[in-house]
Amino acid sequence: MLKGLLNIVIKEVKEMVRDPKILLGMIIVPLLMFPLMGFAVQTSMESAEQSIGETSIALMDQDQGPYAQNLVGNLTESNFKVTQLDDMSLDQAITQIEGTNITNLVIIPSGFSQNITENGTATLTIYTPFEGGGGIAASSRSVAINSVISSFENAIVDQRINEAFTEANSTEILNPILLSEKSIVKGKSADVSPDVLFGLMMSQSIAMPVGIMTLLIFSMQLASTAVASEKEEKTLETLLTMPINRTTILAGKLTGSIIVAIVGALAYLVGFSYYMSSFTGMIPTGTVDLAAIGLAPTIASYAIMGVSLFMALLSALALAISLSVFADDVRGAQALVGPLFILFVVPMIFSMFTDIYSLPFPLSIILLAIPFTHSMLATNVAFTGNYIGAIGGIVYMVIFTIIVLYIASRLFGTEKILTAKLKFKGFSLRKKR
Amino acid sequence: MSVAVEAKNLVKDFGSIRALDNLNFKIEKGEIFGLIGLNGAGKTTALRVTATLLLPTSGTVTVFGLDVVEDAAEVRNLITYLPEEAGAYKNLSGFEYLRFMANFRTKDKAAVEELVDAAAEISGLGERLKDKVKGYSKGMKRRLLVARALMTKPKLAILDEPNSGLDVLHSVHVRTLIKRYAKEYGVTVLLSSHNMLDVEYLCDRVALINKGKVVAEGSPSELKEKYNAVNLEEVFGEVVGFA
Repeated sequence: MLKGLLNIVIKEVKEMVRDPKILLGMIIVPLLMFPLMGFAVQTSMESAEQSIGETSIALMDQDQGPYAQNLVGNLTESNFKVTQLDDMSLDQAITQIEGTNITNLVIIPSGFSQNITENGTATLTIYTPFEGGGGIAASSRSVAINSVISSFENAIVDQRINEAFTEANSTEILNPILLSEKSIVKGKSADVSPDVLFGLMMSQSIAMPVGIMTLLIFSMQLASTAVASEKEEKTLETLLTMPINRTTILAGKLTGSIIVAIVGALAYLVGFSYYMSSFTGMIPTGTVDLAAIGLAPTIASYAIMGVSLFMALLSALALAISLSVFADDVRGAQALVGPLFILFVVPMIFSMFTDIYSLPFPLSIILLAIPFTHSMLATNVAFTGNYIGAIGGIVYMVIFTIIVLYIASRLFGTEKILTAKLKFKGFSLRKKR
Repeated sequence: MSVAVEAKNLVKDFGSIRALDNLNFKIEKGEIFGLIGLNGAGKTTALRVTATLLLPTSGTVTVFGLDVVEDAAEVRNLITYLPEEAGAYKNLSGFEYLRFMANFRTKDKAAVEELVDAAAEISGLGERLKDKVKGYSKGMKRRLLVARALMTKPKLAILDEPNSGLDVLHSVHVRTLIKRYAKEYGVTVLLSSHNMLDVEYLCDRVALINKGKVVAEGSPSELKEKYNAVNLEEVFGEVVGFA
């Protein structure tokens, strides 16, 4: 039995790994595509950062007062290359900067310093040539100059407060309330902002469901191909007359598909994590001691996640194999299995954006009726502490898998594997000679 | 002589279509028995039922006394089946394919290699067995599959159009092999063919099938004599009314 199983598993893996369509589509492309995407994003970001560092601006100082000089000084210190066009008219200045790499024209009107000195409001005008293109880099340059001006403005506010309230601290006056955000985790207080925890949960809520969905889709495609290609290549009849239990053939195909799917999913996840790491600079990373606040994944939570994922995988494969029995060829099998992907995508989207239990009751029930939802919910079990729900989900998946595997083995054990055919015309299940 | 295969009142329906209609035939041990008939006459269905792939609607088929439904697992130990349109795993090499199939027959590594060596000799593919099957011509693939079916020297070889896709030379080669295996190793052969020459040369006895029933049965010479025909084609035409 075991040798027969191993024989089939080895053959399945060899066949799949040597199939250029599978090798290219499921392993090489994800391994190359995501790092390439990540490289493109990283390179663009670096180039945007570099271009911010080299920003050249033009400046018309029509004021020549102390605050105007102060502002020019601030800009220069912030790595802006400032070209002063003080004696020009606006039209002349615009003509002057046309075709150069100057990204902004700052006009400090006369009376700028006087207005500030008299505690009034001074006007500052910034012209930005709009040429289209440039993407994030172009908008980053505007953000950069605005932030210099904002700092300059804050300094003036501080100065005004300090002059008016000699005894007081400007920061305290501007911030009468200091918000200290903490969380309650599993009934205990934790010295962590809920935003940080939500951020952590979000990173899990996105990465894990996407990973699970990918793994399930890969394995279903492979499993459906595993049976359909036998039909397409006319090898199934020979295999079925071999002195081996039909259930062993089914188990061999399931195991082979799981092995290749895991390799495919790993390739995808390696590529995807590289891609995500190119955004790391954009995502705030707080260091939180998860173990101290009771949110670190435990052996129990890992075990639940593992079992849950395995059950989801097994049920998805059994479902794919059962369906592919009704197809004549690989294309037909993939067409039959394709609509099932909605069963992964919908729970994935919901679990990424919301707590499924808090949805309206009918919607929540519909989502929980999809077995794959439970494997996605199980990924957050360390955070939610809903171990009973997670175990219930596993039990539900086990029952679902047993039913589907029973159907699959029945289909494999009888002549239906050769004769069954799903006809879409009239939506009837017919037998084919 | 003992009975190798016996079909009794075999009926097989596919929905409203009756493919086999009370089919009866008996094959003696070591005999080469041919089923001949028009397309759709029921030859392949009869072979598939005997090979445990399809379930009879009614009636029975026994292989060396074992029922193909009740004792399917035991029957599979005794038979090899070569479907008419069979393929081989295109991403495996010829050797890998043969080894994969041989592994189902024995657990002993040396025995597996013996089977593979035998198949290599039968196929005559030589070094090409190291290449992946996807590079094989139709004829090469068929030779590989015939070799797979005969390498184990089964008690019963069920061959559906064994010469399908083979050129004249290879066709003769395969015919000779089938005869040799039946004679030397006592392999009983149940085959179907459109090629009356093949059948006449190969078979000890033939059954002419029409609309799922045996309409004539006997050795090629008996049939020719009975219907006063030059060859089996004429016999066939005489029996089913086309001559």
